[in-house]
Amino acid sequence: MSQRDVLAELRTARVEAPAELRNRVRVVARTAEPPARRFRARRVLLVLTPVAIAAATAAIVVAIRPSSSPPARRAVFGAVPRAVPNALETQVHGSAAGVPALAPSPARVQRYGASLTLRVVGSHVLSDDVKSALRIVGSYEGHVVSVHVTTTAGAGSAALVVKVPRTHVQQAIARLSRLGTIVSEQVDVQDAQAGINATDRTIRRLQAELATLRKEPQSPSVEQRIAALTTQIVSLQRSLATTVRTDHFATVRLSLTTAQPAAVRRRHGPLHGLGVAFRWAGIGLAYALALGAPAIAVVLLVWLTWRAIRRRRVDALLSRP
Amino acid sequence: MASFAQAAEEHLDDVYGYLSWFTGDHAAAEDLAAETFERALRLWHRYDPDRGSARTWLCQLARTVALDHFRSERRRTRRERIAAAPERVDVRFAESLSPELEHALGGLTAGEREVVALRVLLDLDAATAARVLGISATNCTTRLNRALKKLEEALDVAA
Repeated sequence: MSQRDVLAELRTARVEAPAELRNRVRVVARTAEPPARRFRARRVLLVLTPVAIAAATAAIVVAIRPSSSPPARRAVFGAVPRAVPNALETQVHGSAAGVPALAPSPARVQRYGASLTLRVVGSHVLSDDVKSALRIVGSYEGHVVSVHVTTTAGAGSAALVVKVPRTHVQQAIARLSRLGTIVSEQVDVQDAQAGINATDRTIRRLQAELATLRKEPQSPSVEQRIAALTTQIVSLQRSLATTVRTDHFATVRLSLTTAQPAAVRRRHGPLHGLGVAFRWAGIGLAYALALGAPAIAVVLLVWLTWRAIRRRRVDALLSRP
Repeated sequence: MASFAQAAEEHLDDVYGYLSWFTGDHAAAEDLAAETFERALRLWHRYDPDRGSARTWLCQLARTVALDHFRSERRRTRRERIAAAPERVDVRFAESLSPELEHALGGLTAGEREVVALRVLLDLDAATAARVLGISATNCTTRLNRALKKLEEALDVAA
Protein backbone atom coordinates (compact mmCIF):
# COMPACT_ATOMS: atom_id res chain seq x y z
CA MET A 1 0.00 0.00 0.00
CA SER A 2 1.51 3.27 -1.12
CA GLN A 3 1.48 6.54 0.84
CA ARG A 4 -1.05 7.89 -1.66
CA ASP A 5 -3.41 5.01 -0.89
CA VAL A 6 -2.94 5.52 2.83
CA LEU A 7 -3.72 9.20 2.43
CA ALA A 8 -6.77 8.46 0.29
CA GLU A 9 -8.16 6.07 2.87
CA LEU A 10 -7.45 8.47 5.72
CA ARG A 11 -9.31 11.22 3.85
CA THR A 12 -12.45 9.11 3.84
CA ALA A 13 -12.49 9.14 7.64
CA ARG A 14 -15.20 11.21 9.25
CA VAL A 15 -15.46 11.61 13.02
CA GLU A 16 -18.63 12.91 14.57
CA ALA A 17 -18.97 14.01 18.14
CA PRO A 18 -21.27 11.82 20.22
CA ALA A 19 -24.74 13.20 20.91
CA GLU A 20 -24.02 13.34 24.62
CA LEU A 21 -20.97 15.59 24.09
CA ARG A 22 -22.92 17.77 21.66
CA ASN A 23 -25.61 18.28 24.30
CA ARG A 24 -23.01 19.11 26.94
CA VAL A 25 -21.40 21.74 24.74
CA ARG A 26 -24.78 23.18 23.75
CA VAL A 27 -25.72 23.49 27.41
CA VAL A 28 -22.43 25.25 28.12
CA ALA A 29 -22.90 27.63 25.21
CA ARG A 30 -26.55 28.34 26.06
CA THR A 31 -26.39 28.77 29.82
CA ALA A 32 -23.56 31.23 30.01
CA GLU A 33 -22.96 34.23 27.82
CA PRO A 34 -19.30 34.80 27.05
CA PRO A 35 -17.85 37.55 29.22
CA ALA A 36 -17.43 40.93 27.56
CA ARG A 37 -14.06 41.89 26.24
CA ARG A 38 -12.21 43.16 29.28
CA PHE A 39 -9.67 45.89 29.48
CA ARG A 40 -6.35 44.14 29.22
CA ALA A 41 -5.02 45.67 32.41
CA ARG A 42 -2.41 42.99 32.93
CA ARG A 43 -0.99 43.44 29.46
CA VAL A 44 -0.90 47.22 29.83
CA LEU A 45 0.79 46.89 33.24
CA LEU A 46 3.33 44.52 31.75
CA VAL A 47 4.36 47.22 29.28
CA LEU A 48 3.92 50.30 31.45
CA THR A 49 5.81 49.06 34.51
CA PRO A 50 9.24 48.67 32.89
CA VAL A 51 8.71 51.89 30.90
CA ALA A 52 7.84 53.79 34.09
CA ILE A 53 10.85 52.33 35.92
CA ALA A 54 13.16 53.23 33.05
CA ALA A 55 11.71 56.75 32.80
CA ALA A 56 12.05 57.28 36.56
CA THR A 57 15.64 56.07 36.47
CA ALA A 58 16.38 58.37 33.55
CA ALA A 59 14.82 61.32 35.39
CA ILE A 60 16.91 60.59 38.50
CA VAL A 61 20.08 60.28 36.45
CA VAL A 62 19.35 63.56 34.65
CA ALA A 63 18.51 65.29 37.94
CA ILE A 64 21.66 64.24 39.80
CA ARG A 65 23.98 64.74 36.84
CA PRO A 66 26.64 67.32 37.75
CA SER A 67 26.60 70.60 35.85
CA SER A 68 28.86 70.70 32.83
CA SER A 69 29.93 74.34 33.51
CA PRO A 70 33.64 74.60 34.21
CA PRO A 71 34.36 75.38 37.87
CA ALA A 72 36.71 78.29 37.07
CA ARG A 73 33.95 79.99 35.17
CA ARG A 74 31.56 79.58 38.05
CA ALA A 75 34.15 80.95 40.45
CA VAL A 76 34.62 84.00 38.28
CA PHE A 77 31.00 84.82 37.69
CA GLY A 78 29.25 83.53 40.74
CA ALA A 79 31.34 82.63 43.73
CA VAL A 80 33.64 85.60 44.12
CA PRO A 81 32.13 88.23 46.38
CA ARG A 82 32.18 91.82 45.29
CA ALA A 83 33.55 93.09 48.59
CA VAL A 84 36.85 91.49 49.50
CA PRO A 85 38.39 92.24 52.90
CA ASN A 86 42.08 92.42 51.98
CA ALA A 87 44.59 91.82 49.27
CA LEU A 88 45.61 88.41 50.54
CA GLU A 89 42.07 87.21 50.18
CA THR A 90 41.62 88.73 46.74
CA GLN A 91 44.60 86.83 45.50
CA VAL A 92 43.32 83.58 46.88
CA HIS A 93 39.92 84.05 45.26
CA GLY A 94 40.76 85.91 42.16
CA SER A 95 43.94 84.50 40.76
CA ALA A 96 43.10 81.65 38.50
CA ALA A 97 46.74 80.70 38.18
CA GLY A 98 47.22 80.50 41.93
CA VAL A 99 49.63 83.45 42.34
CA PRO A 100 50.66 83.64 46.01
CA ALA A 101 49.94 86.77 47.99
CA LEU A 102 53.11 88.82 48.19
CA ALA A 103 53.62 91.85 50.36
CA PRO A 104 56.43 94.31 49.53
CA SER A 105 59.35 94.24 51.92
CA PRO A 106 59.85 97.62 53.62
CA ALA A 107 63.55 96.87 54.33
CA ARG A 108 64.58 96.07 50.75
CA VAL A 109 64.21 97.74 47.40
CA GLN A 110 61.91 95.72 45.13
CA ARG A 111 60.30 96.12 41.75
CA TYR A 112 56.63 95.49 42.46
CA GLY A 113 54.08 95.07 39.68
CA ALA A 114 50.45 94.00 39.91
CA SER A 115 47.73 93.38 37.33
CA LEU A 116 44.12 93.38 38.33
CA THR A 117 41.14 92.66 36.08
CA LEU A 118 37.72 93.49 37.43
CA ARG A 119 34.27 93.01 36.02
CA VAL A 120 31.92 95.88 36.70
CA VAL A 121 28.16 95.99 36.46
CA GLY A 122 27.69 98.06 33.32
CA SER A 123 29.03 100.83 31.13
CA HIS A 124 27.07 103.45 33.08
CA VAL A 125 29.20 102.80 36.21
CA LEU A 126 32.45 102.38 34.32
CA SER A 127 33.43 106.07 34.35
CA ASP A 128 32.49 106.33 38.05
CA ASP A 129 34.68 103.33 38.79
CA VAL A 130 37.58 104.90 36.86
CA LYS A 131 37.21 108.09 38.91
CA SER A 132 37.08 106.05 42.11
CA ALA A 133 40.24 104.22 41.08
CA LEU A 134 42.04 107.52 40.46
CA ARG A 135 40.89 108.84 43.85
CA ILE A 136 42.19 105.71 45.56
CA VAL A 137 45.56 106.05 43.83
CA GLY A 138 45.73 109.73 44.77
CA SER A 139 44.89 109.03 48.38
CA TYR A 140 48.08 106.96 48.64
CA GLU A 141 50.17 109.69 46.97
CA GLY A 142 50.31 107.69 43.78
CA HIS A 143 49.93 108.97 40.25
CA VAL A 144 48.50 107.90 36.93
CA VAL A 145 50.70 106.75 34.09
CA SER A 146 47.94 106.13 31.57
CA VAL A 147 44.18 105.81 31.37
CA HIS A 148 42.28 104.39 28.45
CA VAL A 149 38.47 104.11 28.53
CA THR A 150 36.27 102.65 25.78
CA THR A 151 32.50 102.45 25.92
CA THR A 152 30.04 101.20 23.37
CA ALA A 153 26.32 100.58 23.64
CA GLY A 154 25.82 98.38 26.68
CA ALA A 155 29.48 97.44 27.13
CA GLY A 156 32.80 99.08 27.89
CA SER A 157 36.31 98.69 29.22
CA ALA A 158 38.97 100.77 30.91
CA ALA A 159 42.71 100.19 31.20
CA LEU A 160 44.63 102.14 33.85
CA VAL A 161 48.32 102.05 34.62
CA VAL A 162 49.04 103.74 37.96
CA LYS A 163 51.99 104.11 40.29
CA VAL A 164 51.42 103.65 44.00
CA PRO A 165 54.08 103.86 46.73
CA ARG A 166 55.23 100.34 47.48
CA THR A 167 54.51 100.75 51.16
CA HIS A 168 50.77 101.26 50.42
CA VAL A 169 50.30 99.01 47.44
CA GLN A 170 48.51 96.26 49.35
CA GLN A 171 45.93 98.64 50.76
CA ALA A 172 45.50 100.26 47.36
CA ILE A 173 44.91 96.88 45.64
CA ALA A 174 42.45 95.88 48.35
CA ARG A 175 40.43 99.03 47.77
CA LEU A 176 40.66 98.82 44.00
CA SER A 177 39.45 95.23 44.03
CA ARG A 178 36.22 96.39 45.70
CA LEU A 179 35.25 98.28 42.55
CA GLY A 180 34.08 95.10 40.83
CA THR A 181 34.20 91.35 40.70
CA ILE A 182 37.73 90.01 40.42
CA VAL A 183 38.32 88.17 37.18
CA SER A 184 42.07 87.78 37.47
CA GLU A 185 44.94 89.10 39.51
CA GLN A 186 48.68 88.87 39.10
CA VAL A 187 51.56 90.14 41.26
CA ASP A 188 55.21 90.31 40.19
CA VAL A 189 57.94 91.14 42.70
CA GLN A 190 61.57 91.40 41.71
CA ASP A 191 64.26 92.11 44.32
CA ALA A 192 66.57 95.02 43.37
CA GLN A 193 68.45 95.29 46.66
CA ALA A 194 71.32 93.03 45.59
CA GLY A 195 72.02 95.16 42.53
CA ILE A 196 71.88 98.34 44.58
CA ASN A 197 74.31 96.90 47.12
CA ALA A 198 76.72 95.89 44.34
CA THR A 199 76.55 99.36 42.79
CA ASP A 200 77.11 100.94 46.21
CA ARG A 201 80.20 98.78 46.74
CA THR A 202 81.52 99.75 43.30
CA ILE A 203 81.03 103.45 44.08
CA ARG A 204 82.84 103.09 47.40
CA ARG A 205 85.74 101.27 45.72
CA LEU A 206 85.97 103.94 43.02
CA GLN A 207 85.83 106.70 45.65
CA ALA A 208 88.72 105.02 47.56
CA GLU A 209 90.68 104.74 44.33
CA LEU A 210 89.92 108.41 43.58
CA ALA A 211 91.16 109.46 47.05
CA THR A 212 94.41 107.54 46.49
CA LEU A 213 94.97 109.19 43.10
CA ARG A 214 94.40 112.66 44.57
CA LYS A 215 97.18 112.04 47.14
CA GLU A 216 99.67 111.13 44.38
CA PRO A 217 101.77 113.82 42.63
CA GLN A 218 99.57 115.32 39.96
CA SER A 219 100.50 114.71 36.39
CA PRO A 220 98.39 114.97 33.22
CA SER A 221 97.78 111.22 33.20
CA VAL A 222 96.76 111.19 36.87
CA GLU A 223 94.45 114.13 36.33
CA GLN A 224 92.94 112.41 33.34
CA ARG A 225 92.40 109.27 35.41
CA ILE A 226 90.78 111.29 38.27
CA ALA A 227 88.38 112.91 35.81
CA ALA A 228 87.34 109.52 34.39
CA LEU A 229 86.77 108.07 37.86
CA THR A 230 84.75 111.08 38.93
CA THR A 231 82.49 110.79 35.88
CA GLN A 232 82.01 107.08 36.50
CA ILE A 233 81.14 107.63 40.18
CA VAL A 234 78.63 110.38 39.37
CA SER A 235 77.02 108.18 36.74
CA LEU A 236 76.71 105.25 39.15
CA GLN A 237 75.30 107.49 41.89
CA ARG A 238 72.65 108.86 39.47
CA SER A 239 71.76 105.37 38.36
CA LEU A 240 71.44 104.23 41.95
CA ALA A 241 69.22 107.17 42.82
CA THR A 242 67.03 106.54 39.78
CA THR A 243 66.61 102.89 40.70
CA VAL A 244 65.68 103.67 44.30
CA ARG A 245 63.29 106.39 43.18
CA THR A 246 61.65 104.21 40.52
CA ASP A 247 61.25 101.21 42.74
CA HIS A 248 59.70 103.34 45.45
CA PHE A 249 56.52 103.03 43.38
CA ALA A 250 54.72 99.85 42.48
CA THR A 251 53.14 99.63 39.03
CA VAL A 252 49.50 98.58 39.09
CA ARG A 253 47.72 97.75 35.86
CA LEU A 254 44.00 97.87 36.40
CA SER A 255 41.51 96.59 33.78
CA LEU A 256 37.83 97.22 34.21
CA THR A 257 35.42 95.43 31.90
CA THR A 258 31.68 95.41 31.89
CA ALA A 259 29.73 92.16 31.86
CA GLN A 260 28.66 90.97 28.45
CA PRO A 261 25.33 92.56 27.62
CA ALA A 262 22.59 90.12 28.47
CA ALA A 263 21.41 88.21 25.45
CA VAL A 264 18.11 89.45 24.27
CA ARG A 265 15.53 86.94 25.35
CA ARG A 266 14.08 85.36 22.30
CA ARG A 267 10.38 85.43 22.09
CA HIS A 268 9.31 81.83 21.72
CA GLY A 269 6.33 80.79 19.71
CA PRO A 270 3.31 79.01 21.15
CA LEU A 271 4.77 75.59 20.26
CA HIS A 272 8.10 76.20 22.03
CA GLY A 273 6.93 74.20 25.08
CA LEU A 274 6.07 71.32 22.80
CA GLY A 275 9.61 71.34 21.40
CA VAL A 276 11.09 71.36 24.90
CA ALA A 277 8.80 68.53 25.92
CA PHE A 278 9.84 66.49 22.88
CA ARG A 279 13.50 67.14 23.62
CA TRP A 280 13.14 65.91 27.19
CA ALA A 281 11.06 63.00 26.02
CA GLY A 282 13.87 62.15 23.59
CA ILE A 283 16.46 62.34 26.36
CA GLY A 284 14.30 60.14 28.57
CA LEU A 285 13.80 57.70 25.72
CA ALA A 286 17.55 57.52 25.08
CA TYR A 287 18.20 56.75 28.75
CA ALA A 288 15.37 54.24 28.81
CA LEU A 289 16.81 52.49 25.75
CA ALA A 290 20.33 52.49 27.16
CA LEU A 291 19.15 51.03 30.44
CA GLY A 292 16.37 48.86 29.07
CA ALA A 293 18.14 47.24 26.11
CA PRO A 294 20.37 44.93 28.21
CA ALA A 295 17.41 43.98 30.40
CA ILE A 296 15.30 43.23 27.34
CA ALA A 297 18.13 41.13 25.87
CA VAL A 298 18.34 39.06 29.06
CA VAL A 299 14.57 38.61 29.20
CA LEU A 300 14.55 37.58 25.54
CA LEU A 301 17.32 35.06 26.13
CA VAL A 302 15.51 33.58 29.11
CA TRP A 303 12.27 33.41 27.14
CA LEU A 304 13.94 31.68 24.17
CA THR A 305 15.59 29.15 26.48
CA TRP A 306 12.35 28.51 28.31
CA ARG A 307 10.51 28.04 24.99
CA ALA A 308 13.11 25.58 23.69
CA ILE A 309 12.93 23.56 26.90
CA ARG A 310 9.14 23.54 26.83
CA ARG A 311 9.07 22.44 23.20
CA ARG A 312 11.50 19.62 23.91
CA ARG A 313 9.38 18.49 26.83
CA VAL A 314 6.22 18.53 24.69
CA ASP A 315 8.00 16.52 22.00
CA ALA A 316 9.06 13.99 24.62
CA LEU A 317 5.53 13.87 25.96
CA LEU A 318 4.08 13.18 22.51
CA SER A 319 6.72 10.68 21.43
CA ARG A 320 4.85 7.76 22.92
CA PRO A 321 2.05 5.85 21.13
CA MET B 1 -17.87 37.76 14.22
CA ALA B 2 -19.80 34.53 14.84
CA SER B 3 -21.23 33.97 18.31
CA PHE B 4 -19.69 31.43 20.59
CA ALA B 5 -22.72 29.12 20.26
CA GLN B 6 -22.42 29.18 16.46
CA ALA B 7 -18.69 28.48 16.58
CA ALA B 8 -19.18 25.63 19.04
CA GLU B 9 -21.91 24.04 16.93
CA GLU B 10 -19.89 24.41 13.73
CA HIS B 11 -16.53 23.12 14.96
CA LEU B 12 -17.44 20.56 17.61
CA ASP B 13 -16.85 17.59 15.27
CA ASP B 14 -13.46 18.93 14.23
CA VAL B 15 -12.32 19.50 17.79
CA TYR B 16 -13.59 16.13 18.92
CA GLY B 17 -12.05 14.34 15.90
CA TYR B 18 -8.71 16.03 16.49
CA LEU B 19 -8.74 15.13 20.18
CA SER B 20 -9.80 11.56 19.63
CA TRP B 21 -7.03 10.97 17.13
CA PHE B 22 -4.55 12.89 19.26
CA THR B 23 -5.27 10.99 22.47
CA GLY B 24 -6.35 7.71 20.87
CA ASP B 25 -9.05 7.52 23.51
CA HIS B 26 -12.71 8.41 22.76
CA ALA B 27 -13.72 8.80 26.40
CA ALA B 28 -10.80 11.07 27.16
CA ALA B 29 -11.46 12.98 23.94
CA GLU B 30 -15.07 13.60 25.01
CA ASP B 31 -14.01 15.00 28.36
CA LEU B 32 -11.24 17.06 26.81
CA ALA B 33 -13.57 18.44 24.13
CA ALA B 34 -16.07 19.50 26.78
CA GLU B 35 -13.29 21.10 28.80
CA THR B 36 -12.01 22.82 25.67
CA PHE B 37 -15.38 24.46 25.01
CA GLU B 38 -15.78 25.48 28.64
CA ARG B 39 -12.39 27.12 28.52
CA ALA B 40 -13.19 28.62 25.11
CA LEU B 41 -16.31 30.23 26.57
CA ARG B 42 -14.25 31.87 29.31
CA LEU B 43 -11.64 33.07 26.84
CA TRP B 44 -13.94 33.95 23.95
CA HIS B 45 -13.26 37.69 24.48
CA ARG B 46 -9.65 37.03 23.56
CA TYR B 47 -10.50 35.45 20.22
CA ASP B 48 -9.47 37.76 17.37
CA PRO B 49 -10.91 36.76 13.95
CA ASP B 50 -8.18 38.79 12.21
CA ARG B 51 -5.52 36.46 13.57
CA GLY B 52 -7.12 33.21 12.41
CA SER B 53 -10.34 31.25 12.10
CA ALA B 54 -12.36 30.08 15.08
CA ARG B 55 -11.50 26.48 14.15
CA THR B 56 -7.77 27.20 14.40
CA TRP B 57 -8.23 29.00 17.71
CA LEU B 58 -10.35 26.16 19.12
CA CYS B 59 -7.77 23.59 17.97
CA GLN B 60 -5.03 25.55 19.72
CA LEU B 61 -7.08 25.55 22.91
CA ALA B 62 -7.83 21.86 22.49
CA ARG B 63 -4.14 21.14 22.12
CA THR B 64 -3.34 23.02 25.33
CA VAL B 65 -6.04 21.09 27.14
CA ALA B 66 -4.77 17.80 25.69
CA LEU B 67 -1.17 18.55 26.68
CA ASP B 68 -2.34 19.26 30.23
CA HIS B 69 -4.13 15.92 30.10
CA PHE B 70 -0.99 14.12 28.89
CA ARG B 71 1.08 15.73 31.64
CA SER B 72 -1.38 14.74 34.36
CA GLU B 73 -1.55 11.24 32.91
CA ARG B 74 2.21 10.96 33.00
CA ARG B 75 2.30 12.12 36.61
CA ARG B 76 -0.43 9.65 37.46
CA THR B 77 1.34 6.74 35.80
CA ARG B 78 4.58 7.69 37.50
CA ARG B 79 2.84 7.73 40.85
CA GLU B 80 1.40 4.32 40.15
CA ARG B 81 4.76 3.09 38.86
CA ILE B 82 3.37 1.74 35.66
CA ALA B 83 5.00 4.22 33.38
CA ALA B 84 6.97 1.49 31.66
CA ALA B 85 3.80 -0.08 30.30
CA PRO B 86 1.43 2.66 29.22
CA GLU B 87 -2.18 1.72 29.14
CA ARG B 88 -3.23 0.86 25.58
CA VAL B 89 -6.79 1.54 24.64
CA ASP B 90 -8.10 -0.23 21.59
CA VAL B 91 -9.86 2.56 19.81
CA ARG B 92 -11.75 2.91 16.57
CA PHE B 93 -10.42 6.12 14.99
CA ALA B 94 -13.12 6.22 12.33
CA GLU B 95 -15.80 3.89 11.08
CA SER B 96 -14.63 3.94 7.47
CA LEU B 97 -11.02 2.91 8.15
CA SER B 98 -9.77 -0.62 7.63
CA PRO B 99 -8.70 -2.56 10.76
CA GLU B 100 -5.10 -2.60 9.49
CA LEU B 101 -5.01 1.18 9.14
CA GLU B 102 -6.70 1.53 12.54
CA HIS B 103 -3.98 -0.65 14.02
CA ALA B 104 -1.25 1.27 12.22
CA LEU B 105 -2.67 4.57 13.49
CA GLY B 106 -2.62 3.16 17.00
CA GLY B 107 1.08 2.47 16.52
CA LEU B 108 1.89 6.08 15.80
CA THR B 109 3.02 8.41 18.56
CA ALA B 110 0.59 11.04 19.81
CA GLY B 111 2.67 13.70 18.09
CA GLU B 112 2.44 11.93 14.77
CA ARG B 113 -1.28 11.24 15.11
CA GLU B 114 -2.06 14.88 15.85
CA VAL B 115 -0.33 16.09 12.72
CA VAL B 116 -2.24 13.50 10.67
CA ALA B 117 -5.48 14.59 12.34
CA LEU B 118 -4.87 18.25 11.61
CA ARG B 119 -3.60 17.89 8.06
CA VAL B 120 -5.78 14.99 6.85
CA LEU B 121 -8.85 14.68 9.06
CA LEU B 122 -9.43 18.44 9.52
CA ASP B 123 -7.83 19.21 6.15
CA LEU B 124 -5.88 22.21 7.47
CA ASP B 125 -3.18 23.65 5.28
CA ALA B 126 0.44 23.33 6.39
CA ALA B 127 0.69 26.90 7.67
CA THR B 128 -2.46 26.69 9.80
CA ALA B 129 -1.58 23.26 11.19
CA ALA B 130 1.92 24.51 11.98
CA ARG B 131 0.40 27.45 13.85
CA VAL B 132 -1.71 25.10 15.97
CA LEU B 133 1.33 22.97 16.71
CA GLY B 134 3.62 25.95 17.36
CA ILE B 135 6.19 24.82 14.79
CA SER B 136 7.22 25.88 11.30
CA ALA B 137 5.28 24.80 8.21
CA THR B 138 8.31 22.85 6.94
CA ASN B 139 8.59 21.00 10.21
CA CYS B 140 4.89 20.24 10.06
CA THR B 141 5.20 18.79 6.56
CA THR B 142 8.20 16.70 7.63
CA ARG B 143 6.27 15.29 10.56
CA LEU B 144 3.33 14.41 8.31
CA ASN B 145 5.56 12.65 5.79
CA ARG B 146 7.26 10.72 8.58
CA ALA B 147 3.87 9.65 9.98
CA LEU B 148 2.59 8.59 6.57
CA LYS B 149 5.75 6.60 5.94
CA LYS B 150 5.33 4.80 9.26
CA LEU B 151 1.73 4.01 8.38
CA GLU B 152 2.81 2.71 4.97
CA GLU B 153 5.47 0.49 6.55
CA ALA B 154 3.06 -0.81 9.18
CA LEU B 155 0.49 -1.67 6.49
CA ASP B 156 3.16 -3.41 4.37
CA VAL B 157 4.18 -5.49 7.37
CA ALA B 158 0.54 -6.36 8.05
CA ALA B 159 0.04 -7.36 4.42
